[in-house]
Amino acid sequence: MDKVLIYGYGNPDRQDDGVAWYILSELAVRLGREPFSLNSDPFSFAEQSPHLGVALQLTPEISELLADYDRVCFVDAHTGAVPDDLSIRSIRPEFQTSPFTHHLTPEACLHLTQAITTHTPQAILVSVRGYEFGFDTSLSQATRMLANRAVEFIWEWTQRSAQI
Amino acid sequence: MVAKKITIEPVTRIEGHAKVTIRMNDSGKVDRAYLHINEFRGFEKFCEGRMVFEMPLITPRICGICPVSHHLAAAKAADEVMGCPPPKPASMLRELMHMGQIIQSHGMHFFELAGPDLLLGFDANPAIRNVVGLIQVNPELAVKAVNLRKYGQEIIRLLGGRRVHPNFAVPGGVNKALSVEARDTILRGADEAIATLQVGIQIIKEWAEKNRWDIDHFGVFSTGYFGLVTAKNSLELYDGQVRLIDKNGSQLEKFDGRNYLDYIAEHVEPWSYLKFPYYKKMGYPGGVYRVGPLGRCNTADQIDTPIANQELSIFKQLNGGKPVENTLFYHYARLIESIFAVEHAKILCEDPDILSTDILNTRQEFKGEGVGVIEAPRGTLFHHYWANKNNQLERVNLIVATGHNNWSMCEAVDSVAKTYITGPEITEGLLNRVEAAVRAHDPCLSCSTHAIGQMPMIVEMVDPEGNLIQKVCRG
Repeated sequence: MDKVLIYGYGNPDRQDDGVAWYILSELAVRLGREPFSLNSDPFSFAEQSPHLGVALQLTPEISELLADYDRVCFVDAHTGAVPDDLSIRSIRPEFQTSPFTHHLTPEACLHLTQAITTHTPQAILVSVRGYEFGFDTSLSQATRMLANRAVEFIWEWTQRSAQI
Repeated sequence: MVAKKITIEPVTRIEGHAKVTIRMNDSGKVDRAYLHINEFRGFEKFCEGRMVFEMPLITPRICGICPVSHHLAAAKAADEVMGCPPPKPASMLRELMHMGQIIQSHGMHFFELAGPDLLLGFDANPAIRNVVGLIQVNPELAVKAVNLRKYGQEIIRLLGGRRVHPNFAVPGGVNKALSVEARDTILRGADEAIATLQVGIQIIKEWAEKNRWDIDHFGVFSTGYFGLVTAKNSLELYDGQVRLIDKNGSQLEKFDGRNYLDYIAEHVEPWSYLKFPYYKKMGYPGGVYRVGPLGRCNTADQIDTPIANQELSIFKQLNGGKPVENTLFYHYARLIESIFAVEHAKILCEDPDILSTDILNTRQEFKGEGVGVIEAPRGTLFHHYWANKNNQLERVNLIVATGHNNWSMCEAVDSVAKTYITGPEITEGLLNRVEAAVRAHDPCLSCSTHAIGQMPMIVEMVDPEGNLIQKVCRG
């Protein structure tokens, strides 16, 4: 049985930027676990995978965690700069520089994992188009619909074998 | 004569991203370089109407990098609004958490963001000029660096229950006492953390020795300096008074942070969304100042812990006893502060009061207004709240560290561009130097939102008619 992590990141106080929190919460409920909130434990490590986690942004520490898994699904929002509103793609280790800030991409985290541990999980990035990024905790209707499709996809993905 | 223009625009955030424009003249030299920060400050409005006691949990959401600083500044402001000063053990515990934040943030910046430039070179291939390249070149150091950040994060977790957004400080104190086991864990890690930081100091010193020309020409300029100090003008990160010194090191002001509006004003430039704070009495730009590690190490006369103080005394000699003006020495100052943070964490843990359960003052005497000031890793952070008698916020003002350093970042970008860009061809190494001028300040250009959709960094040079003549792209 593959060990699977689903890891969502974004800011739930900035409307659609936090869509990953909604998706992870929906998955948690399907698995009979508590939904995520800013006041809850950011990880749901049940005995059986998939394990679930949420964060405001990716940080270097996550690289160590990734090494414990066979497959990882990152979940994020996007601003329309990628072609599909619901974008699903395999990702590989690749360090991507963020010139001014502490920002890390999932590809960079995987690269760190590979460098530190020599193991790299298979990984995909599911990103959902966001439309509204104001200071609010609600999702726009369009993003919520896409998020529900993302939940279905990720749910099926967790049931599959290691093929991505 | 019509100027040429180069634009560097990394769109790494929906908001809070920065753009560099380098205007060239017809002889191929830099006429003027600008850093535009498209900072959107909507968070204050978002907070209005919230209950003041919610603020320590709400404001950390501004930033995923320094949430502890916002958490603690909010708690300090809320203490005042609600009129419930925390007992001494609670203040010590908050301060301990803050030391964890300084260690992890500074550690990450030096070893993972700045370190690759120093250890691998500004002109190294960008494919390897990063922390992964660092791991390949010096795996032992990389592991130490990871452990250092982990140590800081662990302090935060042991106190707040979580590494990123702790739920710990509340108006009047904190909600959890420190266990003996947790204290001992913190104490056990201190020596290794100091040893790693001393390796870092050795790296920056050796690098400075070998790259003297860069040190002396990379963003070197005079400003005032601004930071919290103790009553005896020692380095202070959690409390104390604000001290402002001039370019020669003479004290201009020493004031209670609550009165910041009497001393600071903000200038607006049409090419940046972020305002430019300055010292009122000297006007703009004469009254601009720097904050953060360089600002603090210049502002403080000494440090009250032995190893950090020894380094500070060496630092103070870099410019013959006058304030150190070199932008690249932000890195050195950052490491000195990190050593202080570890030493101070150790001192706090060795004080028996740190295990006290007297951690919350439940008596309240409503004041309605409060200011919380703290030295975030990037500089002085102000939270100012006005609330009605129901403890509901009616007005919020936040001044974040990156704002104080706005002028300095702009000046550093201009200086570095003029120093290094001397011809029409813009190499990746030159571009990296311009970025490094910003990076030395470790700005937080708003980490509150970060959906994917990043564009690569692009540098474009256009001719006087606006036609593209060169484009450098990476990312």
